[in-house]
Amino acid sequence: MKKTIIVGIFVISNLCSAFSAEVNLYTSRHYQSDTDLYKKFTDKTGIKVNVISSKYEVLEKRLLSEGKSSKADVVITADAAALGSATKKEIFQKIKSETLNSKIPAIYRSAYWYGISKRARLIYYNPENISPNIVKNLNYEDLANPMFKKRIVIRKSSNVYNQSLVSSLIENNGLSKTSKWAEGLVSNMARKPKGNDRDQILAVAAGEADLAVANSYYIALMLSGKKGPEQQAAAKKVQLIFPNQSNRGTHMNISGGGVAKYAPNKENAIKFLEFLLTKDAQEHIVNNSFEYPMIAGVQPNKLIAQFGTSFKQDSKTKMTSYYNNQKKALTLMKKAGW
Amino acid sequence: MFLFLKNINLWLISSICISLLVAIPIFVIFSGFFGETSNYLAVLSETFLLEYITNTFLLLIGVLSLTFIFGVGVAYFVSFYTFPGSQFFTWAIILSFAVPGYIYAYSLTAFFANYGTLFSILTFLFGEANYNSYIPRIDSLLGSIFSISFSLFVYVYLLTRALFVYQSQNMIDAGRNMGFSSYNILKKIILPSAKPGIVAGLSLVAMECISDFGTVEFFNVETLTTAIYDSWITFEDLNTANILSFYLLIFIFILFYLERVSRSRSRFNIPSKGFYKIEKTKLTGTKAFLIFLFCFLIFFTSFVFPLLQMIYWLIKFPGSFDLKSVFTLSLNSITVIAITCLALIVFSFVVNYGIRVTDNKYLKTLTNFSISGYAIPGVILSVTVLTFSSYVDQFLKDYFFISGFKTLIIGTIFGLTVAYFIRFFSLAVNGIKSGYEKLNHSLDDASYLMGYSKIGTFIKVHIPFLKNNLILICMLLSIDLIKELPITLILRPYNFETFATQAYNYASQDMLEYTAIPSLFLILFASLFIMISKRQILKGF
Amino acid sequence: MANYLEVNNVDFFAGESLVLKNISFSVPKKGDCICLLGPSGIGKTTILRGIAGLKEIPNGSIFLKDRILNDPNNFIEPEDRNISLSFQENALFPHFTVEQNIKFGAQRSLFCSKNKNGPLKFSTDQLLDFFFISDLKEKYPHEISAGQAQRVCVVRSITHNPDLLLLDEPFANLDQNLKEKVQINLKRILKETGMTSIIVTHDKYEAFYLADYCGVLYNQKMVQFDQPYNIHHKPNSKEVVDFFNRGVLIPAKVIGKNKLFNEELGEIQGEFSMDYPLNEQVELLIQPEDLIHDDESDLKLEVVDKKFRGTNFVYTLKTASNNLLPVFVHSHHEHLHQENEKFGIKKPIFIDHLVCF
Repeated sequence: MKKTIIVGIFVISNLCSAFSAEVNLYTSRHYQSDTDLYKKFTDKTGIKVNVISSKYEVLEKRLLSEGKSSKADVVITADAAALGSATKKEIFQKIKSETLNSKIPAIYRSAYWYGISKRARLIYYNPENISPNIVKNLNYEDLANPMFKKRIVIRKSSNVYNQSLVSSLIENNGLSKTSKWAEGLVSNMARKPKGNDRDQILAVAAGEADLAVANSYYIALMLSGKKGPEQQAAAKKVQLIFPNQSNRGTHMNISGGGVAKYAPNKENAIKFLEFLLTKDAQEHIVNNSFEYPMIAGVQPNKLIAQFGTSFKQDSKTKMTSYYNNQKKALTLMKKAGW
Repeated sequence: MFLFLKNINLWLISSICISLLVAIPIFVIFSGFFGETSNYLAVLSETFLLEYITNTFLLLIGVLSLTFIFGVGVAYFVSFYTFPGSQFFTWAIILSFAVPGYIYAYSLTAFFANYGTLFSILTFLFGEANYNSYIPRIDSLLGSIFSISFSLFVYVYLLTRALFVYQSQNMIDAGRNMGFSSYNILKKIILPSAKPGIVAGLSLVAMECISDFGTVEFFNVETLTTAIYDSWITFEDLNTANILSFYLLIFIFILFYLERVSRSRSRFNIPSKGFYKIEKTKLTGTKAFLIFLFCFLIFFTSFVFPLLQMIYWLIKFPGSFDLKSVFTLSLNSITVIAITCLALIVFSFVVNYGIRVTDNKYLKTLTNFSISGYAIPGVILSVTVLTFSSYVDQFLKDYFFISGFKTLIIGTIFGLTVAYFIRFFSLAVNGIKSGYEKLNHSLDDASYLMGYSKIGTFIKVHIPFLKNNLILICMLLSIDLIKELPITLILRPYNFETFATQAYNYASQDMLEYTAIPSLFLILFASLFIMISKRQILKGF
Repeated sequence: MANYLEVNNVDFFAGESLVLKNISFSVPKKGDCICLLGPSGIGKTTILRGIAGLKEIPNGSIFLKDRILNDPNNFIEPEDRNISLSFQENALFPHFTVEQNIKFGAQRSLFCSKNKNGPLKFSTDQLLDFFFISDLKEKYPHEISAGQAQRVCVVRSITHNPDLLLLDEPFANLDQNLKEKVQINLKRILKETGMTSIIVTHDKYEAFYLADYCGVLYNQKMVQFDQPYNIHHKPNSKEVVDFFNRGVLIPAKVIGKNKLFNEELGEIQGEFSMDYPLNEQVELLIQPEDLIHDDESDLKLEVVDKKFRGTNFVYTLKTASNNLLPVFVHSHHEHLHQENEKFGIKKPIFIDHLVCF
């Protein structure tokens, strides 16, 4: 009896979806403000957005298990390595979109996926505890310098942002040098990796460490007061630098997505991706999750823009390397004791 | 004659089907055991396998010690003494069961973080200053141990208390007669005769501790379970995951048998004749205060503290409160609980009634076998269900040209129910079984002889008798289901979140403060279930 | 069939093992009471369970009121037989009070086969009174003693007003005084309601009092099925004697009609229950009430044991050939004989019922 009901509901819901316009979104972006973004899309186009959000690895497993019967239309990630993984595993399909190709710079897209927003991985410091002169021209590679013994905080190695950073270091410096670098970094850690990016910034504000590595949008998030007055006050104590300005540039990462291979609502999927690159959507993104915009003509939010917007971005290191080196990066990090 | 034969087949067939279902995870792990592994296993063995095992081991030791102290301690005090609040603590202590380990982890982290709750409290009380340097840093392993201990010690408490309640005053008087102090009486008489309950409770705690995922993952403590998750997710090496799972399972089965053995022995310890109920000693003065403090601190830290932390966050970030989402989450959680409970109860009755009517020893072994579903960590179970669905889907496609089997399982409430079924079947079937064991067979005969048919006997005799058991099982299932995380995360349908998954999503994606609403409602619902069945819980273990 | 209940050539099994072979007996008419006697563990409960339908019989047949209950081709489920069984072990529903338990037996509900006999002529309260358990109505089974629980079971079975009432050692846990009172009441109830019953007991006094017929079970068979008087005075085999264990068999020779001769005791006269050919060597049963003490007699035997039984003494006398003979002597007798004394037996010995094998 119960089974009949379940099957009945299943059938009916399928019938319903056949008649209403919708797009099924698998996303690993994790910003509260995104819900409003989807609402904007629905208001504009009348297409309902069904969301399933989870960590990327879990989404991928699920997509691969579902195979041809997957109902996913759009897959969006918060990191470029995930895009590489999805491409390699044939989760995306090639689409043709003049809009997307014209709006997104070539390094931030591929035949299968399209970048939506940018973020930089920066080094934060507290001027009360460490002189701005020391950090002025810091490179990521300097983080292994013994002078910072037990003064650095960074989150755990399982975090994809760190893995992508290390991947890009491997790409630029080679495996053995990066290995040594990782070992140096580990001995410089003020504490065993704990907490998320914001916790690293707070640790620097509290004086538990001198340097922290975290993504760019977090400082803006804290300064906005959205995380409470304590974090806002703490964030005011902290400054940041853009690493590697004297060589290849600061490590950039993107949040991006593509159309799923067996998408049942392909047209809606393309519409959705194109929507994300409109001025409207981009402004929503930069002002709510404080990321850097992907399209020209939109300015980053002033809370992050105040630290400088014309810093050198590493456009040489290909985003595909983030995925290609990922396993090596993780192995290397784990071997170093990260 | 023929009718009887037909009956045997029906029971046996349905029980075999159920047992096959429950055996899926084991089957998948075994078949994966012989596959090839990537070099991850080699890397692992060189570097971190030892650390994972050490961590798992240290975690286990820590949790077992703390749960022993908390569980046996409180059980001892409320069973043998009256002191201010003893009545209250007897049932209120169970409320800590409403707080899963991972929510406790979020609360603990929030409280002791730089610029966290404690910082705010101190600022509020004493003005601005850099308290951060004075606020203790919670070491990850210690935090995990505390979180898991507080969420699990109730098992030890209930099982120990159940046996304490059956102690006869005679034994204690005999001890006093021999000149034992109350400490010696505790050590030499009370503890040894409650040993089966203590062992049973600790074994359950150990099983749950080893399978814990949410808490240790949050605290970044690498255990065997996280290694399994890692090898599957990050290294995409399902075979290594299977091998590690296999070893983990063996360890769990050993623990499980320890628990079973101690349970079966405990049955003989309950005296029937010459049994005098314990006269509780009344405590006053300093002793009463100290013991009250002990119980109060445990109650406060294990239940009130996480609750308050979540309320604090809610007040601080009122924007996170969304009535519509709360309603949806509630609906989802309740729906899932109702369907699963119904399925579990119905099939547990099928198996148990079959055992009763046919007295077939194969059926009996099948119920013992079902514990495997419970012992397997949720992560592993979900992965095996996914893998199995793919096998079957492929098989059906190749030989029968039927496709779409996968869609029936993956991402549907049906698939989710199946996985829950595998995991919790043992709880339901053994819960009903223990109820039936107290109803001896001649009662069925007596009922038949009074003209009641088999169905009549079931409705008029069995059901009223098992009523308390059923309430207890339903509530325990509901509590476990509402707290359940890994299976729900991996197998859930579109747009479908439960309180547990929503909290986890927020926590793992940098929005820790937003875990307040789902955590609060989870705790509230679970507490509600506990309150409904508190009488049965205290009696039924 | 003329008989109310017939058990024909049935082998009774407990589990896999055969306990009783080829049992046949019948209850002649409605309202009769049969008592089954036998040593512990012989299978009396198994017979009751077989008749009640709780276990199938592999061969033979059982008929009740002209209806086949069980034979190799038919089997009627216990709930359709209208037979009540009061179990030896406690079979009260633990979650019902005593009163609810009893009412369960009287219920005529949706799930219960209709009992064509209608309600019983005695009320529940009357029955409780008869068995001295009136004050237990609101109690739960775990709150009452074993003897009380047994009686509640009996009341529950009687309340059902079945065609056949089966009681398995219903008063085993009662002290002698209470037992006798309860037996009187039970007999009255059975007679006034006309309820047919089969009662299992190992107390022969109970059996002799209640039964119209007794069946003695021994050595896996029904050795004698007869009226109580005949069971006592005319046991049909040595096995019955063994079971009751009250007498001793001594060798004797038939020397005439109703006359026997034994070397040590001399001539023995009486009434044979059967005819025996002249000069046949037989074994004669001597029961304690058969030999009469006579201080004047010259037949003297040595006393080896003396038991005081309240009303009488039982002396054990030893003959020259080392037979041990029991003798009742009323305890008002003046000379109290001690061990190793000589004890006189009246000559010639006269025994009313001469039982020989």
